[in-house]
Amino acid sequence: MKGKIIPLKDNLNNTIKEVIKSLLEKGCFDAILVPNRVPSGESFTYLLINDQDFLESCTPLPPIMPIQGARALRNLTRRGKTSLKVLCVMRPCEIRAAIELSKLRQVELENISFMSIDCPGALVTKDYIDKPKDSDILYEEVLDQWTSEHLRPTCNTCVNFSYENTPSDIHIGIIGQQKNHILLLPISDKGNALLGKIDIQCSDEISSWQTNVKEILQKKTDQRNNSFSELQNKTAGAENLDNLFSDCINCHNCMRVCPICYCRQCFFESSDEVRIEAENYFIKAQNKGGIKFPANTILFHLGRISHMALSCVNCGACEDGCPMDVPVAQIFSYIGDTVQKMFDYIPGKDRNEPIPILTYKEDELHEYEDSKGQ
Amino acid sequence: MKSFKIPKSPDDTVKDILLFLLKNEKVGSIFALSKVHNNNHAYTLITDKELLSNITPTYPLMLANAGKMISRLTMIEAVKSPVAVVLRPCELRALFELVKLEQAKLDNLLFVSFTCGGVFPIKTKKDGLENKLKEYWENVKTGEDFQELRESCRICENFVPDNADIILQLAGNDTNTGTSVLIKTEKGAGFLEGIRDQFDEGSLESTTLDTIRGKRKERKQKTFADLKTEDFGIEGLINIFGRCINCHACSKACPACYCKLCYFESADSESDPSTFEIELKKRKAIRLPADTVFYHLGRLTHVGFTCVGCGMCSDVCPTNIPVSTIFSKVSERIQKAFEYTPGKDLEEKVPMSIFEMKEFEDVED
Amino acid sequence: MEEKTLPRILGFLCKWCSSTGADLAGVSRLKMPASLIPIRVMCSSRVNPIFVLKAFLGGADGVLVSGCHPGDCHYQSGNYYTRRRFAVTKKIFEELGLDTNRIRLSWISASEGQRFVNVVTEFTENLKKVGKNPVKAEVFL
Repeated sequence: MKGKIIPLKDNLNNTIKEVIKSLLEKGCFDAILVPNRVPSGESFTYLLINDQDFLESCTPLPPIMPIQGARALRNLTRRGKTSLKVLCVMRPCEIRAAIELSKLRQVELENISFMSIDCPGALVTKDYIDKPKDSDILYEEVLDQWTSEHLRPTCNTCVNFSYENTPSDIHIGIIGQQKNHILLLPISDKGNALLGKIDIQCSDEISSWQTNVKEILQKKTDQRNNSFSELQNKTAGAENLDNLFSDCINCHNCMRVCPICYCRQCFFESSDEVRIEAENYFIKAQNKGGIKFPANTILFHLGRISHMALSCVNCGACEDGCPMDVPVAQIFSYIGDTVQKMFDYIPGKDRNEPIPILTYKEDELHEYEDSKGQ
Repeated sequence: MKSFKIPKSPDDTVKDILLFLLKNEKVGSIFALSKVHNNNHAYTLITDKELLSNITPTYPLMLANAGKMISRLTMIEAVKSPVAVVLRPCELRALFELVKLEQAKLDNLLFVSFTCGGVFPIKTKKDGLENKLKEYWENVKTGEDFQELRESCRICENFVPDNADIILQLAGNDTNTGTSVLIKTEKGAGFLEGIRDQFDEGSLESTTLDTIRGKRKERKQKTFADLKTEDFGIEGLINIFGRCINCHACSKACPACYCKLCYFESADSESDPSTFEIELKKRKAIRLPADTVFYHLGRLTHVGFTCVGCGMCSDVCPTNIPVSTIFSKVSERIQKAFEYTPGKDLEEKVPMSIFEMKEFEDVED
Repeated sequence: MEEKTLPRILGFLCKWCSSTGADLAGVSRLKMPASLIPIRVMCSSRVNPIFVLKAFLGGADGVLVSGCHPGDCHYQSGNYYTRRRFAVTKKIFEELGLDTNRIRLSWISASEGQRFVNVVTEFTENLKKVGKNPVKAEVFL
């Protein structure tokens, strides 16, 4: 593969912005979905933009991800395709979540193109909101190191931070390059055509960037393995689960900020779960001497895992939105990895590969069935 | 009012009373804050005497509004045998509102509460709350403002649980040598019959409480004035709510928000792509997901008259929006207009469920 | 040309009176500014305060809620509830510095074609004075 090296224009975000602007200018798109700083300055949100002036103030790679991009796209296309040609500038995990949602028919990908950026990870939103200025400086360091204790824990263990496994159209390589230039890479035919329209010929060697990506990948894989072996000990058994989720206050934030959890009415908020006879609670209490209120917090998390673990893209939004700092994302990422491996499935990697739970083979998974029964 | 003193800490005093109630089979179970796994706390429904040792009813942490929890318990049917419920004044007020809204039933519930010194924001928990407890109780005794508490607690004037059956006197009282218990209602007296041979006389009114109330009121007025909500306009609202991530945690934690399917999560709140396209044409840019200011204003119209100012909403906000302070201030105005104090009187109907033939002539024409 | 400079008012009109009043104004050939976009509701109490907010934040210059005169509600008491809800909405507007001139509650009966014209004309004139709804240009809502 070849790419196009573009020299840095004062900073990273501005350089990416120039590319986006020329795509909009050349009429390749009707609108751009891209993060913007909110007017009060301490956070970011997605804006759908069709105006050059608004593009001027956008931030293609913000230090935080308060709203998962797939949620923004879901908001736009849940009820059907948009007639606008839209370019979504997102982190790789956001694009993968959007692909998963399209398989679940919550996002309509027609007319949608993606631009992904090598992702150093996102800072913890709460910390950023407290100190936006300091955090901006901190993020510069993160861009150097590509790992930091200030990042979301799942970002440090993310192995899909670059273009691989993310079916975007145009990828922007920044690993090891961001000091002097960025790298434009056409991932799909569509991406190639788009770059052609803005007169970009991709003929530059990209091997040094690829080496850098590999290096970081190795580092992150190690971190991931370490984290998983730690989690293995922490999650096994009912006692451990009790401890892990004991902080949970049942606000269901993790569910609502999760790009994949799309049900309008969650089972755990429905009458089935909320309207329960008092007697029912007393019987449970008498069995054990007492029960917690709100009840069923672990059931909620296990239920949620069973619903979306196969599609979990490890974006870490759940943990970021948790007011109690329950390590939800780390647990989900660990469990997700296990079940995804069962089906050799990487969520969001392939637009045409169905979610394993929505398909079957007649001859499979025999190890889970009882073949010796009478 | 009958009263008695138990020479123990507030928590142990509650335990003594509850143990008496359980032993004499006056109640079958207990609902109170308990210590659970991993040094955490949670509300629990307890039927086993042995587990009483775990309860920490006055531990200054509110992880969920107990009013909402009791509503979960009694949503369909009243409890059949008596339950002693230990909760904070604002939680009791929230429960009363939920009863009026037909989301809970009070039959067979005995309410034990206390003059409340407030709680810490739940975020304090991770920095370790234990080492702040000493200072906390010192401040409860003196009634001084404690900066580390929830904002909503620091400005709360309704820290006396008027509707509880049994009331522990904490705020403004020295509990080092023992805790005074007031028996507020006939019902309470019935349940506590036989706990003592002789009772003292006690009163809920005291100059200390008045002083504390005065101080809190002053703080409230200052906090509200500093907010300058009247100057918000649309720009101010965007500045405050612009960082909202539409997680709706405030609504889930709010005892007054009881809808199972919120309008803002329903299909009604979604728009066709064509709607976004029209808006985009007009505004040149639109926020996605949309509806942050709309959501908060909408929620205000729904819960403004029942908001008890418990502060749960601010506590659970992952983007640190001072939801509670703004909601309390706007709600105060609404409640004043209807001369309504939420949770005060069960007989007093929720303003939105009744009307007067002649009223609010200034809003109509 | 006048159309473009006219304020846009979204009107929620009760089917039994205000909407019929509007019809009466029409068949009587009374003249009024073409500023009102009517939405007919079965009763003014159908108007959830959220509707008013949505119209306002959607960029309507004015929002009119209109129903039967107190005492005349087709469903006995719907409009009394409407008044309470409207009062709450208005308090919220006042408290948060939003322009209360942009929302209006008017009682118009089926026979009051002229009153309908008067209300719309007056509301339109008022809105001309307060200008365009600034919400129209906001993108971070």
